[in-house]
Amino acid sequence: MKTLDRIKSITTPFVFGVAFIALWEGAVKGFDLKPYFLAAPSKIIEQFFNNTARIWEATAVSGGNALVGLIVGTILGIAMSFILSRFRFLSQLVTPLAISLNAIPIFVLVAVLNNMYSITSEIPRRFMVTLVVYFVVLVNVARGLTQVSSIQVELMRSYAASEFAILRKVRVPNAVPYLFTALKVAAPASVITAFVSEYFGGLQNGLGSRITSNIANSKNAAAWAYVLGACLLGLAFYTVSIILENLTRRGQSK
Amino acid sequence: MSAAANISAVEVNGASKIFNSGTANQVDALLDVNLTIAPGEFVSLIGPSGCGKSTLLRLIANLLEPTQGEISVNGKTSAQARLDQDYGMAFQQAGLFDWRTVSKNIELPLELKGWDKKKRESRAAEMLDLVKLQDFGNMYPWQLSGGMQQRVAIARALAAHPPLLLMDEPFGALDEMTREYMQGELLRICAETSTTVVFVTHSIPEAVYLSNRVVVMSPRPGRILEIISVNLGSKRSELTRAADGFFKSITAVREALRGTHAQHVASTAIRGAEDR
Repeated sequence: MKTLDRIKSITTPFVFGVAFIALWEGAVKGFDLKPYFLAAPSKIIEQFFNNTARIWEATAVSGGNALVGLIVGTILGIAMSFILSRFRFLSQLVTPLAISLNAIPIFVLVAVLNNMYSITSEIPRRFMVTLVVYFVVLVNVARGLTQVSSIQVELMRSYAASEFAILRKVRVPNAVPYLFTALKVAAPASVITAFVSEYFGGLQNGLGSRITSNIANSKNAAAWAYVLGACLLGLAFYTVSIILENLTRRGQSK
Repeated sequence: MSAAANISAVEVNGASKIFNSGTANQVDALLDVNLTIAPGEFVSLIGPSGCGKSTLLRLIANLLEPTQGEISVNGKTSAQARLDQDYGMAFQQAGLFDWRTVSKNIELPLELKGWDKKKRESRAAEMLDLVKLQDFGNMYPWQLSGGMQQRVAIARALAAHPPLLLMDEPFGALDEMTREYMQGELLRICAETSTTVVFVTHSIPEAVYLSNRVVVMSPRPGRILEIISVNLGSKRSELTRAADGFFKSITAVREALRGTHAQHVASTAIRGAEDR
């Protein structure tokens, strides 16, 4: 019964996906839609396999920017959350700011950053990804460090445990699932930010800029092929974050 | 050496506790409490909600400081007793650490004492034996039932072999059958380890079944109204629950509580009338 459910949970979306693409292909062929209006999936796949080397190159650039930003942002976010959890007054100062920044699309700042650096620099894009990741990680990990069970803290105090011991044995382990929740949000967000940052000028070497330039040249199918590459990159980031989470979760229930 | 035998397990002298003193939110939780508990004794604290019984337990544990009065544990100040881990503690929620196995949960107080791994592991195995969970050491807390989790919490509280066990409604969240089983287990464990116990509870039968003495407390500000000795002998079994002495003690505790409860209800009724 259970395996049947599992097979169903995989086949249902798969069948739906295939049907959707077939419908798309059929619509383009049936209504004779022009390529500049909507490219047929078969043409997109063709473009994708004809340009794998170039798509891979662009993916490496965008993916590299996303990865650098993701790593730096995560490290900074974790570091800051430790500082905030230690000094309550700082937390009261920074947390509302961080939460409100999380709610607005701050990546538009990249236009300003582009002005500050040379036109050939990847720094504005990486900086932008770092900023987006930083706040997501900061808010979540700080929550994990502070929202610990009061009984567990009382218990630790009854063992005459130092603040450092409470941090190490209660707060940090408690924050680990929060970190991975943050990464599951931050990983796709880092990819999105890396693409969108490319729309605001700068080097024309990433997936985002390739998509815009191909559209500008009416090479719609090629643009879609780059979109496909972008989807795969986003999926790869998300999958890795889930694998990491499962590796650290061990026997835990949550 | 004979002097050591005379040292009380717990001594509370004129302890009062006032929260938020001097503000609009001032709460007089405890007023002039005196209580002496002998080593090996099982003492329950019972009273209406908010009577300060948990506060008294936390004063003994040195998790709170008394506003007035003195508390000693094992002949030391309560602060020193906490630093020396002279007591173990268990709460209504087991408070186990999700990310640690059952064994690692039990080892936690020993880690903080700086015991080496071998010693910790052998003690954890010994404690698992004591609470009859030998086969569950490598499981995680969420894989156990509520009663089993509470047994792990007791094993953890006793892991360092403290002479004193402080319990705050530890069986409050368990169903009646599990609860009675756990009471029997607690008595067996305490007899085997000759541990002194201070036990906070809402349940009169539970207090009577477990205790040598039941401390009945008044509503806020919490005071000790009466201390009722329970003479059911040191060996208690399921038969105890049907014994005459058991019912007599239950009646005695109930009357002591009801006296205060009637007053409490009367006073709130008057207050309610004034509000109107």
